[in-house]
Amino acid sequence: MVSQRLKVSTDLRSFMPAPTTPDQRLLMEQVGDGPGSRLLLLAISRSCPAPALPAPAGLAHPAQRASCARGTEPSMAGAGQSDAQLAALSQGLVGALHGDKRYSQVLNGSFDLGALPSGLLPYRYLLSPTLDTQPLDEPYLADQLQQRLDDLSSPAASLLKGLLPRDPTLEVLKLAERWTPAKSPELREGVWFSPQNEALLLVQTAAAGFDPDAQQQAIDGIQHAFNALPGHAGAKLEFSGPGYFSVVVGAQTRHQADWIGRISSVGFIVLLLLAYRSLSSLLLSALPIASAALAGIAALTVVFSEVHGITLAFGFTLLGVAQEYPIRVLSHRRAGEDAVQSVRALWPLLLTAIASACIAYLAFYASGVNGLKQLAVFTIVGLLVAGFSTRYLLSRLLPVRVRDVADMRWLAKARDLVDRLPRPRWIPVVVALAIILMLAVAPGPFWQNNLAALTPLPQDMLLRDARLREALGAPDVRYLLVLQASTEQGVLALSEQLQPKVDALVAQHAVDALELPSRYLPTVALQQARQQKLPDRASLQSELNQALQGLPFRPDLFQPFLDDVETARQLPPLTPELYVQTPLGQRLAAMLMQRDGHWLGLGTVSGVHNVAALQALGADSGGNVRLLDLKVASESLVAAYRTRILQALLVASVLLVLTITFALRSLRRAWHVLAPMTLATFLVLAVERMMGIEISLFHLVALILAGGLGLHYALFFERDTGDPAEQRRTLHATIVCVLSALLVFGMLAWATIPVLRAIGLTVSLGVAFHFCLSILMAPHTHASED
Amino acid sequence: MQVLDRPLVVSGELAWLGGDKLQRHVEHPNDETATIADGEVTQQRAGKSPRHFSLSRAPQLQVLLDSFVALLSGDAGRLQQAFEIRQGGDPAAAWTLTLVPRDAKVAKTVAGITIDGDGKTSRCMRMQEADGDLAIDMLGPLAAKMPAQPTREALLALCQGAH
Repeated sequence: MVSQRLKVSTDLRSFMPAPTTPDQRLLMEQVGDGPGSRLLLLAISRSCPAPALPAPAGLAHPAQRASCARGTEPSMAGAGQSDAQLAALSQGLVGALHGDKRYSQVLNGSFDLGALPSGLLPYRYLLSPTLDTQPLDEPYLADQLQQRLDDLSSPAASLLKGLLPRDPTLEVLKLAERWTPAKSPELREGVWFSPQNEALLLVQTAAAGFDPDAQQQAIDGIQHAFNALPGHAGAKLEFSGPGYFSVVVGAQTRHQADWIGRISSVGFIVLLLLAYRSLSSLLLSALPIASAALAGIAALTVVFSEVHGITLAFGFTLLGVAQEYPIRVLSHRRAGEDAVQSVRALWPLLLTAIASACIAYLAFYASGVNGLKQLAVFTIVGLLVAGFSTRYLLSRLLPVRVRDVADMRWLAKARDLVDRLPRPRWIPVVVALAIILMLAVAPGPFWQNNLAALTPLPQDMLLRDARLREALGAPDVRYLLVLQASTEQGVLALSEQLQPKVDALVAQHAVDALELPSRYLPTVALQQARQQKLPDRASLQSELNQALQGLPFRPDLFQPFLDDVETARQLPPLTPELYVQTPLGQRLAAMLMQRDGHWLGLGTVSGVHNVAALQALGADSGGNVRLLDLKVASESLVAAYRTRILQALLVASVLLVLTITFALRSLRRAWHVLAPMTLATFLVLAVERMMGIEISLFHLVALILAGGLGLHYALFFERDTGDPAEQRRTLHATIVCVLSALLVFGMLAWATIPVLRAIGLTVSLGVAFHFCLSILMAPHTHASED
Repeated sequence: MQVLDRPLVVSGELAWLGGDKLQRHVEHPNDETATIADGEVTQQRAGKSPRHFSLSRAPQLQVLLDSFVALLSGDAGRLQQAFEIRQGGDPAAAWTLTLVPRDAKVAKTVAGITIDGDGKTSRCMRMQEADGDLAIDMLGPLAAKMPAQPTREALLALCQGAH
């Protein structure tokens, strides 16, 4: 049931604070959903880029070797042939992806007369700007026809001959030029090529850029289509773009977490076997945490329609606390005593720990952030289930005969050592001063707002992205020009008004290109104005006849032209709904959207050189034209998110103090528990800051986990049973807990991916500091005071 | 040409710039220069910004390039590779060389090319397009003999050797 209903969302956005203004909502969508972030950049190159290094003979596919051999030939003919192969692959890929619902646009530079379906061809007179400045009169037609005559004797003849009768003024070509990206790569063999001899393609996915699963599907679809093409064996297909990166980052993180997880699991098992010398105890000790995880997930599926991937990742991290429960029980078993009795003795303390953690996490639920609410539900349910299954399930399943760890000789010595440690009263003061000093002098900014910095991309991948983006003139993923109006037509009208200013900016090199929605579809009003300027059949016929005088064209040749103009006069103006049927309709749909009762248009920007000039575009628009900086805005969202976490933490701390004080019924005892925990937490922060680490959300979550573990250490060390054997068992349990935490998180600290390292380092440092401080600040036992 | 009711006459120079580069300069009736280089055609007219397109979009040019470069460089292998060749006439006196493109895509636009020659000089290059249009290039001294009102028949007669 659980696995069927659990819908894990990998979309980063649902883990952000709920947006409150329309702009923030737009931002949340655009962070992963904007036209720019949905672009995949594709490069098809020959498989052997380095001719000096032939592929190992045993591995090379015969076809691959053949094509590489051709590619390395120095002759022009060899290079040309290879270009032709790559171009054929590029065309084949476009053909294969065309019409696939996963892709809203596939471009490879090939000039496509089919951009307008034949039925919509008469619309060219409403879409092309020609009529704005130029009526279809005799002088214009005569000039155009003379040019066509020159074309016929020119090398372009075969391109234009078919078009001539229907479209003597070449409006279709004007539209095709208008719709190709402003800055196009070099065309070879009819398709885009980079200076590095790769065939280039642009694919806009239907899925959001930061939805790694959907992007994975889109990328798999492209790769699959490519692999089905004849002749693909000699070439390789490379991807770039935000969607591809989200897939790569996800896979890398998972891969590293997996192998680290495997190693530390083995270490953990060995550690528990050494500590308890019982296989059945080991197996059973997995019961609470396993049931906690299942119960947590089940609770999530019941309460929320969609569970965020990060919730699960954070949640499983925080559930690590629950591993302490069985360890405590195992260490505190006495020889001959049955497990239910041992648990009963420990239960008040365990229950205090569980309850305080749960009450603290309630603050997360109150934060109002969906991801944090999910985290709270998951961990609270998980910890309760782990606690109660330890108390009522595990205790009944554990074998009766066990070894009492209190009899171990090394443990007695260790306990002696711990008891004899000096515990000066000034330790908290010194530690607190050290923390303040370190925080004050630590280098760099305190907070890390850029979530992407935690999952960085390999440098070569970034360089390739920059290179392809530059070659393709692909829009920037950072900036968007937002146009707002009450209607769809209003947005298009605003876009038309803006066009001259935008052209001026491009001319001033403030920006390389800025693509507005009206580039693809003019307003109904403008289309109607153009329609008004179209002459009726009789007058067009007479203008044409005059224009044709002295030219060798067959007199009846241009009937299709006359028909199309007549049709265009009667057409209902093209609306976005009608436009969706065209291949470019999806392109426009990505640029127009309805939000909160008004319409928004998105202008994509490439090559920003002067941000201020772009911002000035919206200066006197009353907020209807705005430049959205997605990077700044997403960083401010992360900061807002962190503020919520910190507020939740503050409330959680207050609740924790109250719970512990109430449970122990003594302010002094509560101090012995809470002071080392608080100091250790801040000590971790201070040490990490001294190491130059900027604190991110992941550090905060890891600090909370470490705090949870530290609470256990302090609670158990503070407990005074007056029984030296029991004190030894407490030390044993704590040492096993500390070692297992160090093993698991210490391994993570060696990861190369910063997000894993952040969690690993923070928890390891935390565990170490909590352990030391809770020993040094624990009250002396009666045994040693006597 | 089918779209026209009389033949279209232009004059100028066709130059082989070495390698796969060919330049076609038209002087009359309107000045225009087209350059074929590296698989791309650049077309320039006085007072207009240059126009670029891929060679693969202009099959006539591909044929022209292949046959011209092969003929001028004497690369028989290349000629063989691109065309099916039929020879006629007397190699020492009046001869005819008919080239039929091997590439099916090219053949869809260009049915064949016929070169008329006389001893060591080529006189005419006739390109038969698949849609029935015919382009006749009169080369060298023959260019001067272009009639004011050419007809297909008159030009063919000129090519085939009224000396």
